[in-house]
Amino acid sequence: MDASGTSRRKFLQASGGTLGMAWLAASWPQVVAAAEHAHQMAMDSADRSKFLLLSAAQARDVDAIASQIVPSGATPGAHEAGVVYFIDHVNAGLWKEHGQEFVAGLTDFQAKCAKHHPGVAQFADLSFGDQTAYLKHMEHTPFFGGMRFLTVLGLLALPSYGGNAGKLGWKLVGFVDQHAWQPPFGHYDAEYAGFVPYAKTAGQQS
Amino acid sequence: MSARKYKPTDTVDFVVVGSGAAGGVMARELSQAGFEVLVLEQGPRFTAADFRHDELDYWFNGAITNKLDTNPQTFRKSAAEKAQRVTEFPAAWYAPNVGGSSVHFTANFWRLHDVDFNERSRLGEIPGTTFADWPITYDELEPYYTKVEWEVGVSGLAGASPFDPWRSKPYPMPPMPVKSSGVLLERGARKMGWHPYPAPMAIASVPYKGRSACAHCGFCIGFGCEMQAKSSTLYTMIPEAEATGRCEVRPLSYVSRIETNAAGRATGVAYFDKDKREHFQKARAVVVCANGAETSRLLLMSANAKFPDGLANSSGYVGKNLMFNTYAEVNALFEHELNEFKSAQVTRVVHDWYDSDPQRGFYGGGGIDSRIGPMPIAWSMFAPPPDRTWGAGFKSLLEALPRAMIVAGHGTSLPLETNRIDLDPELKDAWGLPALRMTYKDHPDDLAMARFLQDRGAEAMQAAGALEVWKGPVAESTGGPHLLGTARMGNDPKTSVVDKYHRSHDIRNLFVCDGSSMVTSGRGQPTMTIQALAFRAGDHIAQFAKRGEI
Repeated sequence: MDASGTSRRKFLQASGGTLGMAWLAASWPQVVAAAEHAHQMAMDSADRSKFLLLSAAQARDVDAIASQIVPSGATPGAHEAGVVYFIDHVNAGLWKEHGQEFVAGLTDFQAKCAKHHPGVAQFADLSFGDQTAYLKHMEHTPFFGGMRFLTVLGLLALPSYGGNAGKLGWKLVGFVDQHAWQPPFGHYDAEYAGFVPYAKTAGQQS
Repeated sequence: MSARKYKPTDTVDFVVVGSGAAGGVMARELSQAGFEVLVLEQGPRFTAADFRHDELDYWFNGAITNKLDTNPQTFRKSAAEKAQRVTEFPAAWYAPNVGGSSVHFTANFWRLHDVDFNERSRLGEIPGTTFADWPITYDELEPYYTKVEWEVGVSGLAGASPFDPWRSKPYPMPPMPVKSSGVLLERGARKMGWHPYPAPMAIASVPYKGRSACAHCGFCIGFGCEMQAKSSTLYTMIPEAEATGRCEVRPLSYVSRIETNAAGRATGVAYFDKDKREHFQKARAVVVCANGAETSRLLLMSANAKFPDGLANSSGYVGKNLMFNTYAEVNALFEHELNEFKSAQVTRVVHDWYDSDPQRGFYGGGGIDSRIGPMPIAWSMFAPPPDRTWGAGFKSLLEALPRAMIVAGHGTSLPLETNRIDLDPELKDAWGLPALRMTYKDHPDDLAMARFLQDRGAEAMQAAGALEVWKGPVAESTGGPHLLGTARMGNDPKTSVVDKYHRSHDIRNLFVCDGSSMVTSGRGQPTMTIQALAFRAGDHIAQFAKRGEI
C-alpha cells in the first residue's frame, strides 16, 4: 500500500491526532498498514436485526441473564450492548459446534426455573430481584459460568462479533480502540519526574 | 539476495526444526556462517499486515496459538492418574508460526544472574529434586546476552538495577516510556526500601535496524505486532537469515520424525506438508528448536530399533524436569486513571528477592513487575474477586478498569523428574501421531515463593496509595507458555541430554537448543536466555562444522 492521502486520513483519525510528526515520518510504512487495520477494526458490521439460533423466548432469557451479570442503570449494560446478539451469533457461527450444547444448557436452566417458580412463564418474567435471587442459587453451575464468559465477551469483543453495539462495552470500561498513543498515558506517568538512579552501594550483587 | 529454495533431493547442511526464539537465531547464525540451512516450521507465515487487535480471537479462539482440535494434549498431576484431554486452554501453550512464540510474547527480556548457573553448588542439594548447576557460567553467556540485545533489539537502562549482573555493553535503545502502573509500582517499592528499575523489553523504543518504533497500541501480550516494533525473530533474525541466500524457511511443515542410520547418525527429518503429504528432507545435521514441549515429543516420537527410548535419551531425561516459572497476581485500584490498555505491558521490575534466602524457609527467588493485560476481556474475566464476578459489584469494577493495574510475581520452578512431557498412549493428533501428554505438580517451595512475591506486590500497592488491593488465586499449575528444562544441558551423559554446546550426548550430528536446554528455570522471562543460548550454540556448531567435527 502506498502512502495515499486516504490512508493518512484514516491513520490520523485512528490515532486521534496525538502523534508526533518525527515519529510519524520514521514509521510511515508500518503506520499506513496499521492505519488500515484500525479502520477495519472500527467497523461494526454485525447484523442485529434477527437471531440465528435462539428462539425469541430463549433470547429473552439470555438477555435477562446477561443483564443480571452486567446490569443496565445509570450507564449501559449488557442489554444495551446487544450481548444477546453476540451469544446468538457465536453459537450459530464461530463456535457453532457448541451451539446445541448451549441451547441444551439454556433449556435445562429454563426447566429448573419453571419448577422453582411455578406460574411464571419464564425467567425473564420474574422481577429483577427474583431473578438475582434465583441466579445466586445457580452461580456455580457450568451454565452460569458459560453465560458469564459469553457476556463478558459479548460486552467487550469487537462489535463485528455481534455484541459491544456502538462500542458501549468499551465505553463502559474506558477502553478506546485507537491504534496508536503517545505518553503520557495516564495521570501518574504525566506527573513522573524521571528515574533516579540508586547509589552504587544500594544493593547486593548476586 | 532472495531466499533460497531447496529441493527434497538436496542434502542441506542443517535442518532446523522450529523457527521461534531459538530456531530463528540458529538459522541466522548458521546461514551467516556459510552453511545451507532449511528451517521447517509447523505453522503458517504471517506478515505484520495479518495481525489484528482482536482479543476474542487471539486469547479465546487460538488465532495464532496451538489448536487443541487438531493438536490435542492431555494433562495429569501425577503418573498415578490417567491424563485427561485438555479442552479449554493448551497445557503447553505456544504459537506455531514463523517466529514461533516470539511473535506473541510479552517481550520481557531479563538476563539470568550468576546465581542461576551455580545455585546448586551455593545452596546444596534439594531432596526430591534434580536441582543442578549449569555446565556454563554467566560469564560464558554474557557476550551472547549482549548479542541478543544488539542484534535482536532490546530496550532498557543499563546499571539501573543494583541486582543486575555485569554487562559488557549498555542497551542499544532507551527504555520504553514509563506507564502509570510503572510509576505506582516504583513509588510503592521505593517507599518499601526496594529497587524498582525500568523493564528491559524486546521492543523498539526508537526506530531500530529498519524497524519502526513502538506505537504504544498496547496489544503485545498474546498478539502479533503490526508495527514490527516487537523484536520477534519473524522481523529480525529470519529476514537476515534469508538475506544470506542460503536459508529457506518452509512453513506448514510439521516434522514427525528424525531418522537415524545404522551408524547412529541423524540422516534428516520426515515431515508433513500442508496437504498432509509426507516428505523426507536429507540433512548433514539436525538442530531441534521446537520448544520445551514439542522438542521432547519429537525426540520421543523418533524412537527406532537402535534408540528404542527415543533419540538422545540414553539418560532417560528427555521430557523430564519440566519447569514453567510460577506466576501470581495482585490487583489494585487507584484514585486517578492509569489507562493501562495503552503501550507495552511492563515498564517497571523489582528484583530485590532474586536470590534465594534460606531465612524465608523455602527455596526460591523471583521478581515482581507492573502490568495489566491482555485488555480488556481477560481482565474482566479473571481479575475480579470471587464476590464481584457479576451484578452491580462486577459492573462497578468494570467501570473502574481505567484505574486498575496488576503487580505480577514471577518465580522459580524446581526441576522434578516426575514433571514431564511424554507421549499419550492412546490419544492421537490429526496426523495420527501420539498426542503430547503433560504431567506436572508444583513443588511446595515454588508455590510458597509465588505467595511471597504476591505479598510483596500487595505491600507495594498499599504503599503506593491504592484504594483497593486484592490478590488473585495461587493455584497449582495446569500448564503454561514457559516450557523449560526437558532436554537439559550438562557434562554428565547420565543426567543430561545435551552437552554444553547443545550437541546430544548420544548422536553426534543432532543438536537441541530452546527452552528445553535450561537446567534451572531462572526467575521468569526465559526468552532472553533461550536466544543467548541459541547465539552461543550457533557459534559453536558453526565452528564444529567448519572443523569437520560434526
